[in-house]
Amino acid sequence: MSEKTMLEVRDLTMHFMLNKSKNLKVHAVDGISFAIPRGKTLGLVGESGCGKSTCARTIIRIYDPTDGKIFLDGQDITRLSQKELKPLRKKMQMIFQDPYASLNARMVVRDIIAEPLLAHGIIHSKKEAGEYVYPMLERVGLTREHADRYAHEFSGGQRQRIGIARALILQPELVICDEPISALDVSIQAQVVNLLKDYQEEKGISYLFIAHDLSMVRYVSDQVGVMYLGQMAELCEAEEIYRKPLHPYTQGLLGSIPIPNPKLAREKVTSGIQGDIPSPVNPPEGCRFCPRCPYAKPVCSRETPRLKEVSPGHQVACHLY
Amino acid sequence: MENERKNTEALNLICEDPWGALPESRQEREKIAGRNRSFFSDVWFRFRRKPTALAGLAVILILLIFALFGPYFTKYSYSDQNLDLVNIPPYLSVFEAEDGSCYFYITQSLKVVVVNKDGTLGRQLTRLREDEKQKMIFFDYNGEEIAIFYGMQPYVIANPVARTVMPRAKVWNRSYVLGTDTLGRDILTRLMYGTRVSLLVAFIAVIVNMVIGIVYGGISGYAGGAVDNIMMRIVDIISTIPLTLYVILIMVLLGSGLHSIIIAIGTVYWVDMARVVRGQVLTLKEQEFVVASKTIGSPTKTILTQHLIPNAMGPILVTVTMLIPSAIFMEAFLGYLGIGLQPPLASLGTMCNDATENLKSCPHQLFIPALVICLIMFAFNFVGDGLRDALDPKLKK
Ligand SMILES: Nc1ncnc2c1ncn2[C@@H]1O[C@H](COP(=O)(O)OP(=O)(O)OP(=O)(O)O)[C@@H](O)[C@H]1O
Ligand SMILES: [Mg+2]
Repeated sequence: MSEKTMLEVRDLTMHFMLNKSKNLKVHAVDGISFAIPRGKTLGLVGESGCGKSTCARTIIRIYDPTDGKIFLDGQDITRLSQKELKPLRKKMQMIFQDPYASLNARMVVRDIIAEPLLAHGIIHSKKEAGEYVYPMLERVGLTREHADRYAHEFSGGQRQRIGIARALILQPELVICDEPISALDVSIQAQVVNLLKDYQEEKGISYLFIAHDLSMVRYVSDQVGVMYLGQMAELCEAEEIYRKPLHPYTQGLLGSIPIPNPKLAREKVTSGIQGDIPSPVNPPEGCRFCPRCPYAKPVCSRETPRLKEVSPGHQVACHLY
Repeated sequence: MENERKNTEALNLICEDPWGALPESRQEREKIAGRNRSFFSDVWFRFRRKPTALAGLAVILILLIFALFGPYFTKYSYSDQNLDLVNIPPYLSVFEAEDGSCYFYITQSLKVVVVNKDGTLGRQLTRLREDEKQKMIFFDYNGEEIAIFYGMQPYVIANPVARTVMPRAKVWNRSYVLGTDTLGRDILTRLMYGTRVSLLVAFIAVIVNMVIGIVYGGISGYAGGAVDNIMMRIVDIISTIPLTLYVILIMVLLGSGLHSIIIAIGTVYWVDMARVVRGQVLTLKEQEFVVASKTIGSPTKTILTQHLIPNAMGPILVTVTMLIPSAIFMEAFLGYLGIGLQPPLASLGTMCNDATENLKSCPHQLFIPALVICLIMFAFNFVGDGLRDALDPKLKK
């Protein structure tokens, strides 16, 4: 691990126990590994329910990981207690998926943004908050008049910027963005993405940027990881994944999956992937994508493919390569 | 003239480029209309909008003033008995003296009381003798004789010489505005003390319940798992104890009196509150803003006091408003059983209870304290309702 790695995740596993006696568990995240260099962005993409949020929440230690290791800035935080984690939380913050649910409706914007400052003893009373909150509000494109209003008085885009202000006020080095733009209008998505990008250029922070389709992460990511049912299907440089997607699932996500039957092909070139995502409680044997994969071979349903490097910087977990 | 100029200016602006964007700075776009208010003025603003809530608040305030300051303005104390003036109604049927200077009122114990023209009760006339043949009791009024004639129902006051019934009249009782009870105590004064006791019981019940219930339920819901399990089983056990039995036990241990009632109600009623708060906290703690607070590193105290409890305030207030009437009723019920407040202390409950003895002859004795109980309950319900809406900033208009 180099000095410049901000976050490294090794074989991260998070299972939710549903029923102890029947040993039923949700395999929400199942052995994911990646690393984010300082100042860079990793885009994490996958269908709804594939475990992106769980992955983010495990990294930020809302959940205790079942297995694997998490290194933040070279420090192993996998088994730290909440108390030991507290000083590290300044380094790592999170922006949430839902701009409506992630802000407390009973608090005014000033108090929302000041909460991290109070929690970490940077200020000692709400009265001192203005000094920090006003510049941050202006930084995210709001004004100081907004500080005394309740969050519900704002539009979705404005709310998300309040959430961003809350995440950035501690000047973290890593921000985990859990689908920060999925709930927003297309017209506002660019606004928020630009805000995040500008801030990154200014402060050199790292992002783990989660989205559910590839087009959203295109402009922010240096690297893109594609998740499928709790596992990493493909991981490579951002441009490469659009130019040369290798995993059939990635190809499907990009809507360019070639279908062997030429008759169908003509009609269904851009149909993406057929079928539904299987249940994470009973994930399929072997390759998890195999029941939906047009190229499935016998080996696919027997052996789980490991993530392997097929060309420099391009990793894929598929028996085809 | 000025207006016209402005209008044409605006028109020009539009006509220049009918489909173009109006000049507008970024700042202006983000500006939001509407005044900005502090939290309490905000709550007050929304509360004020509800006439029922305001009326409820007004009634509570009036009752509070009545109970706290009223006793300074009456000449009686809640325990002053006047056995000569028992069960006097607020509206008196009297007989006018022949000289027209005053009225006479016949009490239940067949005595004659002088009622002044302004409605105040005066002295009692001395009884001279009784003539059973004539069915008359004679009294001395300034040297003249007047008599109660009990040969007809209701009894009348007659002039024994002329054998005429004195002219009847009706007059409001100014000495005892609400009349007196079976022991000749002023009902108005007792009502003030009774309201005081009831409100005291209500407020203490609320405070104790809020504090214990919120802290207990909050911790239980937030901690979850085994802690939650154990804490809730304790609540289950407490709530299965028959309340009256428990209260009677406490009364036996601590002696009857206000403090026992308060301890009894305070130690039992919080279980409902704890359940409500726990349920709320359980659902709220999964919400993203609570998760966000955890990722920020906020201490548990902040999460509970800033996020969970304020968001649970609506159901908490509803529970409280249901709790106040039941606490008042509990106190009244204990009074009825004779293990509540001990006489001569008054509470609305004991007053109702006392009044049931002579419900037929003096229904007002029951009606008045019952009315006050109703008023208190309506008022608290309306205020609770209004407060719940006012505390919810999403309903801001
Ligand atoms: N606390 C939990 N307990 C049990 N199962 C959970 C829990 N949280 C998530 N899951 C399950 O884990 C799986 C992954 O959920 P997750 O929220 O991570 O998906 P996601 O990729 O973020 O989806 P979306 O794009 O809709 O946000 C889902 O099947 C979900 O039901
Ligand atoms: Mg998610």
